[in-house]
Amino acid sequence: MTTTLEHKAPVIKHEGGGLARHQNFLTAMIGGVAGAFIAWAISHHFFAQDVRTTSDAVAVLTGCGWIVGFWLGIGALNAPLAWLIGSDQTRKDQLYYAGEDQGTKRYWKYCTDHKVVGVQYIVMTMVLLGAGGILAMAIRTELIVPGNHFVDQQVYNGFIAVHGMLMILALIVAVAGPWGNFVVPIMCGAKDMAFPRLNALSLWTLVGAAGLLLTTLAVGSLTMGWVVLAPITDQAGVGMDFFALAILVFTVSTTVAGVNTICTVFTMRTKGMTLERLPIMVWGAIIAAALGLYAFPYFSLVEALQILDRTFSTSFFIGNAGGTGWLQANLFWLMGHPEVYVILIPAVAAVFEIAAVMARKPVFSYRTAVAGMVGLAGLSILVWAHHMFTTGWAPTLGGPFMVTTELISIPTGLFFLVLIGTLWRGNIWMKLPTVWVFGFIANFIIAGITGIYLSDIPIDNQLHGTMFVTAHFHYVFVGSVLFGAIGALAFWYPKVTGRYLDEKLGRISFWLSFIGVQVTFLAMFISGLRGMPRRYASYAFIFEHTNFISTMGAYMIMAGMLVLMGAVIYCWNHGEPSGSNPWHANSLEWLVSTPPPLENFDVLPVVTEDPYNFGKELVRS
Amino acid sequence: MSIDTHSHHDAHADGGHHEPPEVVDGRQRMAIWLFIGGDALTLGALFFTYLYLRGVNTSGHWMSMVGYPGPQLPGGHTWAYYTGQESLPEATTVVTGPLSAGLNWLGTLVTVVSAGFIWAAERALRVAKNKGSFTLLAGIGTLVALVAVFISFHQLAAVPQILSVHADNTVLAFTAYGSSMIIIIGSGLVHLMLLVFLGVGLTLRSVRGAISVENWYQSRLVRMFWVWVAISAVAISALTTTINTIH
Ligand code: HEM
Ligand SMILES: [Cu+2]
Repeated sequence: MTTTLEHKAPVIKHEGGGLARHQNFLTAMIGGVAGAFIAWAISHHFFAQDVRTTSDAVAVLTGCGWIVGFWLGIGALNAPLAWLIGSDQTRKDQLYYAGEDQGTKRYWKYCTDHKVVGVQYIVMTMVLLGAGGILAMAIRTELIVPGNHFVDQQVYNGFIAVHGMLMILALIVAVAGPWGNFVVPIMCGAKDMAFPRLNALSLWTLVGAAGLLLTTLAVGSLTMGWVVLAPITDQAGVGMDFFALAILVFTVSTTVAGVNTICTVFTMRTKGMTLERLPIMVWGAIIAAALGLYAFPYFSLVEALQILDRTFSTSFFIGNAGGTGWLQANLFWLMGHPEVYVILIPAVAAVFEIAAVMARKPVFSYRTAVAGMVGLAGLSILVWAHHMFTTGWAPTLGGPFMVTTELISIPTGLFFLVLIGTLWRGNIWMKLPTVWVFGFIANFIIAGITGIYLSDIPIDNQLHGTMFVTAHFHYVFVGSVLFGAIGALAFWYPKVTGRYLDEKLGRISFWLSFIGVQVTFLAMFISGLRGMPRRYASYAFIFEHTNFISTMGAYMIMAGMLVLMGAVIYCWNHGEPSGSNPWHANSLEWLVSTPPPLENFDVLPVVTEDPYNFGKELVRS
Repeated sequence: MSIDTHSHHDAHADGGHHEPPEVVDGRQRMAIWLFIGGDALTLGALFFTYLYLRGVNTSGHWMSMVGYPGPQLPGGHTWAYYTGQESLPEATTVVTGPLSAGLNWLGTLVTVVSAGFIWAAERALRVAKNKGSFTLLAGIGTLVALVAVFISFHQLAAVPQILSVHADNTVLAFTAYGSSMIIIIGSGLVHLMLLVFLGVGLTLRSVRGAISVENWYQSRLVRMFWVWVAISAVAISALTTTINTIH
């Protein structure tokens, strides 16, 4: 164990920042609304004659106005425009952007400090999960008894789509956002991300995209789930335009973030931080980033084509004019399956990290762990058509896609063994992060195994489109990814706040959520096996009991999440102080003070050992 | 992890980002390569779209609207080929041909030439250390790219529209081929406009002294992306002028 690096902040008076001094979240909102209004007024004026596509064109342009206004208002365009005219930022400006001496105000600004961005991502994730969670509760309440009329059926359809996409976006950033930003640079021994301004750009672009997605709810009329299958999208109302635009904007955010993460890890490591000495979390972050760079171009393209079909009368997905819905399905799932691993891999890496520290052992077979994650990423680009088995697209390819899908169980098995091997005979410290890791393990077994059933074509022919699929991926997303993400939150929370996330509240939340997941989704498997289709607002009486049970379980999960949220908010200022290295870990983020100073290190450290060299010491006290 | 805090004292530990420009440049080049990689994948997805739609040729509508029933609008409607020149045309069902290959290659040629100028500009600055010619060449390259922008607009306008005359409303549609060309040319256009932005930036910055003989790094970053856009323009022309009609 080495000492904590002390930070001695030099006191300089400075006057940098320029326009940015007046820009913050409020001006961004004003800018966004003003931009939307101006774009609406202009486009409304110009597109008055063509009925079929007018409202869509107006909606798309209004959305564009929102995002441009939002960018202008937050200050995202200051630097590019300054670059254009050759007046670069001074060091003082950079320090202003990094939030020096601005206290909590900097959390509302276009702040380039990676730790501020990390915290902003924590908040953003919670907002997205909260909004998606409210929709989930509305959905489960509608389904509590057959023929319920809790929400209007069209509204219900919209809830299904927006719930799905909100949660997908939330989980894409849930681990990679907060921890990829807050801890990964410090783990590498870097003073910040490679491109601090791009970092702020990715965060605030996500906020802008979330605004568009929530607008979808206000204008309604999405009828086809989060996958927004064509050609039914062509009949959807203007909600679809905001939805597609939200995704386009979101992919800008993830692309920028992915490039930034990869460049940080490959070019900013401190002396002695070889690739093999990287904490495993760092590997998870870059593998997911790379996979995202592969996957998201399809995402932006498929939504751009949707927008063109709807506003410009092209016919990419319109069957009777030369297009085909299968193009949409292919493009979507070319993105869609890799994307689920963009979501999973950072959570897995975080779980490895926690397991190693809490079991006081190195990550079992570190190279296998990395290979497992690379293998997952690599194979995941070859399996997309397992989402299309029943569509009739290329039946002869069914066999090959079944094989590739089932092959995924090999790298999945590897990482599972790594996890078990890491914990095996470890001196396991059963604190809050560890508890969530065990929850992850239990749930992921069910998630993975049900996936294998679904990859079997004859079985999938029965189960596709049923609640079984819904239960499968909720075991992945809620049971595994969310549990891993909460474990990561509990693990690094003390680094962010200097305080523990309350152990007792955390455990109450864990048990409510863990039992809730089993109750909700085991019952949902049964609904699915008995043939209940997904995404319907009502159902036959034979599904009555399992649905009631699922709804009760969902309420439990919600209760668990509310307790957690309460704990996160309460402990931020009132939790038990943790010191700078509560888990007695060895990786760099724990060796700097808490909270880490601006630019992390006064003196860049030189690394001489790998991070999991815990020796024989016992830390349990 | 043991760390040795004494052996390596960062010479610039005044809290600054005073890294040597080569280091910053290496990092930025990596980012450009990654963005180019992502862009190449997008181009691949565009080609996939194009070839897929041509391959399936749904109901024979790749380039033809013969037999197209039109959208399910109430009331009578008919379909016609519309070039935008004449006033409301006689309604007929039509077959469209491929877009002009000459114009397509012309746009590409102009893009390639603009890339050549930027490359020459960068060399003038980096190798010949001549800032005056850098400014001039970068300016010319930017103007040439602007010409490519106009050619792209022209190409877009030439994509044949299928016009539905329905009561008082005219509704446009595009064949699958036309649709694919719109997205391909459109995405090229977005790239060209980005190049113009970057080119104006280079020129202005050079004039204002933000780029200098010692500080040439950004010009290479821009040139890398510019050359990539030129290469992708060649790929686009090669594909869309050779594989288009179905026989
Ligand atoms: C061993 C691993 C896995 C296998 C073999 C597998 C297999 C499958 C198959 C075959 C389907 C299609 C079912 C259908 O629509 O009929 C499916 C659906 C799905 N899976 Fe998995 N899966 C696995 C792991 C995962 C993971 C790790 C995630 C997320 C991180 C995930 C997320 C999803 C989602 C979101 C869907 C449904 C998408 C939709 O139609 O809305 N799966 N899975
Ligand atoms: Cu999949």
